[in-house]
Amino acid sequence: QCPHKWKKVQCSLCKSKKHSKERCPSIWRAYILIDDDQMVKPKVLPFHTIYCYNCGEKGHFGDDCNERRSSRVPNEDGSAFTGSNLSSELK
Amino acid sequence: ILNTDYPWILNHDHSRQKEISDWLTFEIKDFVAYISPSREEIEIRNQTISTIREALKQLWPDADLHVFGSYSTDLYLPGSDIDCVVNSELGGKESRNNLYSLASHLKKNNLATEIEVVAKARVPIIKFVEPHSRIHIDVSFERTNGLEAAKLIREWLNDTPGLRELVLIVKQFLHARRLNNVHTGGLGGFSIICLVFSFLHMHPRIITKEIDSKDNLGVLLIEFFELYGKNFGYDDVALGSSDGYPIYFPKSSWSAIQPIKNPFSLAIQDPGDESNNISRGSFNIRDIKKAFAGAFDLLTNRCFELHSATFKDRLGKSILGNVIKYRGKAR
Repeated sequence: QCPHKWKKVQCSLCKSKKHSKERCPSIWRAYILIDDDQMVKPKVLPFHTIYCYNCGEKGHFGDDCNERRSSRVPNEDGSAFTGSNLSSELK
Repeated sequence: ILNTDYPWILNHDHSRQKEISDWLTFEIKDFVAYISPSREEIEIRNQTISTIREALKQLWPDADLHVFGSYSTDLYLPGSDIDCVVNSELGGKESRNNLYSLASHLKKNNLATEIEVVAKARVPIIKFVEPHSRIHIDVSFERTNGLEAAKLIREWLNDTPGLRELVLIVKQFLHARRLNNVHTGGLGGFSIICLVFSFLHMHPRIITKEIDSKDNLGVLLIEFFELYGKNFGYDDVALGSSDGYPIYFPKSSWSAIQPIKNPFSLAIQDPGDESNNISRGSFNIRDIKKAFAGAFDLLTNRCFELHSATFKDRLGKSILGNVIKYRGKAR
C-alpha cells in the first residue's frame, strides 16, 4: 500500500472535484450586481454580442466551443466566458 | 508598520472588505488615482506644448502642432513621453531637410536638448527632451492617422466604463516587464486598449447589463488576465470591429494577413483600415501571454491567501503590489 495515496478532493463551496475549498474560484469570481429594480434586463441576448475566443465564430462563448482547443494552456475550472456565467433566465 | 513599497495603499486600507474582489477593486481605483497627474503636472505639460507650438509657427506659419497618443487620451503613466505631429497647409514638412531645420530651431530657442533625428525610419521623427519640464517629446510629420485613432479612443473611453482603469493597470503591468515596447516585440498602447475594450464588451455579465464595470474592476482584471493569458486562441482568432462594436473572427478569413508566417501571433484589425494589423509588430506574444497567465496566478493565489488570513494579518497588505511592480518616485 502506498502511504501517499491520492486523496479525493471536493470543494464544499461549489461541489467541483478539481480543487479544494481553499482554492475555489468563487472566492475571487464574485460580482456586485446592479440592483434588481434598477436593472434593465434584456429578455433575449443580441446574437451579435457573443463571440468565441477559441474559434472566432459568433453565437457561443469560448468555454462552450466544440472545436479543438486552440490554447495549449488547460482550462480546468472554466472561465468567465461560458454560457453558465449568464443569469439563469438567459441560459 | 505600513508598507511603503506600495505608496497607493497609504491611508487607503481595504483589508476589512468581506469580498476579496471588492478589496482589489478599491486598490485598482487607489492606484489609478495615485498615478494620475496632478493639476500642476497637467499645467506644466500644456504650457510646454504651447511653447513648442509657438516656436513651430515662428518657423513655419502654415504649420500646426497636435498631440496624439496616450497624452491626448489620458492613458499615460508618469514619465511617459508626449507624441506630437506637425501638420501643415502646404505639406511636405516631413522631408529630411525640414526635420533638421526644426530640430536646430528648437535647439536655438532652448526648447530642446538630447535631440535625436530619426530620418530614415518608416515614420521619420525628432526625439528630444524639453529642458524646463524635462518631458520627453516625439514629433512626427504630416500624419493624421494618430489623431483619428486618438479621437476613436476618446469615444471608447466615454462609453466603456472601466476601460481607463483596466488599461492603466495592464499598461503598468507590461511596462514593469518591459513588454510594452513595440520595437522589442511588446504590446503597443493601441493594442492594449483594443484587448481591454473587446474584453469588456464581450463579457457575459456586461452584455446582459447585470454588472457595472466600475464596481467590479477587481474580478474583471483577473478575468482579463484569464482570457488573454490562458484561453484566447492566438493561433486562430483575430480581433476586429463591426459597426463600432468589437468582434472576433477567424484569422483564416482575413485575406490581408495571408499567408501567415507565424501562426502564434496576435491579429488586431485597425478600426480605421481593415487591411492593417495594428499588432503585427508584437512578435513577442509568447512572453506576453505567459506574463498574463503569471498575473492571473499571482492575483488568484494572493486572493486565496488573503481570503483565509486573519484581519490582523491582512492589515496594510497589497493585492496588486507584486503584480504591477510600480517603482516610481513617491508622488
